[in-house]
Amino acid sequence: MALINVASREIQCKIVYYGTGYCGKTTNLQYIFARAPQPARGDLLSIATENERTLFFDFLPLDLGDVHGFRVRFHLYTVPGQVLYERTRVAVLNGADGIVYVADSSAEKLEENFQSLIELETNMRQMGNDLGRYPFVMQWNKRDLPNAIPEATLERYLNRRRVPSFPASAVTGEGVFPTLRAICKAVMACL
Amino acid sequence: MDDARRGHGQGRRVVEDGMEQLTNIVVSPSELEHIALLLGKLSQDTTASHVLLLDKSGQVIAAQGMTGERDVVALGALLAGAFSSSRQVAEILGERDFRGILQQGVHESIYTSLIGEHWLLVVAFDKQTHVGLVKVLARRTSDDLERVLERVLSGSAEAKEQVVNVQFRSSVENTIDYLFRD
Ligand SMILES: Nc1nc2c(ncn2[C@@H]2O[C@H](COP(=O)(O)OP(=O)(O)O)[C@@H](O)[C@H]2O)c(=O)[nH]1
Ligand SMILES: [Mg+2]
Repeated sequence: MALINVASREIQCKIVYYGTGYCGKTTNLQYIFARAPQPARGDLLSIATENERTLFFDFLPLDLGDVHGFRVRFHLYTVPGQVLYERTRVAVLNGADGIVYVADSSAEKLEENFQSLIELETNMRQMGNDLGRYPFVMQWNKRDLPNAIPEATLERYLNRRRVPSFPASAVTGEGVFPTLRAICKAVMACL
Repeated sequence: MDDARRGHGQGRRVVEDGMEQLTNIVVSPSELEHIALLLGKLSQDTTASHVLLLDKSGQVIAAQGMTGERDVVALGALLAGAFSSSRQVAEILGERDFRGILQQGVHESIYTSLIGEHWLLVVAFDKQTHVGLVKVLARRTSDDLERVLERVLSGSAEAKEQVVNVQFRSSVENTIDYLFRD
């Protein structure tokens, strides 16, 4: 839920990176944190288990600074991808203004991706949002893997809505900023 | 503005390409002043160390007693996350009307309660203050804040147009391209 604070001249929006476990959501935020220009990035906060699995969420506030007299901020979140954590994902989705679906391109993950997208759609619908009319982009991550499925196949099975999609390799950072730019602009267009 | 759609989702309307407008909350200077007054009074009456008003998405609308801005931003995300997660727990356990959580520490406790369906009121207080008092006073403040929320929601669409104009939209796109370039 976008917050426009006319008194303090601030606009804040929430963006959630969604996807199955190990698809690279946390890696996206880590790369943004490492590479975004200094004044724009806040502290990266991770609520994770000892072995670095996301337990609740990662959180990275980004500050665009002054835009036409308003300070614009995006708050990025990731959800925990483990199948059993659906209720936690719903908790993190609460009040989101935009969603990035990160898909693991490896062949054996196609079915899992498909199921998690259905879950996302269902939960969004329960919150009163239709993903087809909502700021939503896809990221085909792990394009560097030798067994990555062709993009055309991912498009066919996972992107029936034909929303903007971006090939990526979050470990090297490829595609991370194009995805971020697209979701930020999509959110702003719906303000 | 498509009036048929307005009743639902607080002035939601369809923007370009069949996209739906996001739910916005626009807080004007006079409403924020009013909010600060209410939070200040609550803070005084409960001798709270911190009082915060959050959006349920974790964004901080107003904070009293806080210093570091970075801390405030992180606190907003964590407190809203904790509330949202407790609410999911309650739902699994069959509780449908979940309105508040109390986190008790040895020295400081935190009481978080829901205002309408959009905002959270957070009071952090020490062991000198009785929990019951905090709950009662937070409840009273919530009733006042709920009226502010209703006004803010109903006036959002018009108030927003003044801020988010054509120049703003083009500047924000340029800023995104510049800051988040590869
Ligand atoms: N080969 C490859 N590995 C990746 C890529 N992105 C992330 N990973 C790795 O996948 C694992 C899980 O990533 P993580 O970001 O923790 O996934 P999350 O569960 O979605 O948060 C880590 O070992 C990452 O280094 C990628 O683009 N290519
Ligand atoms: Mg993770």
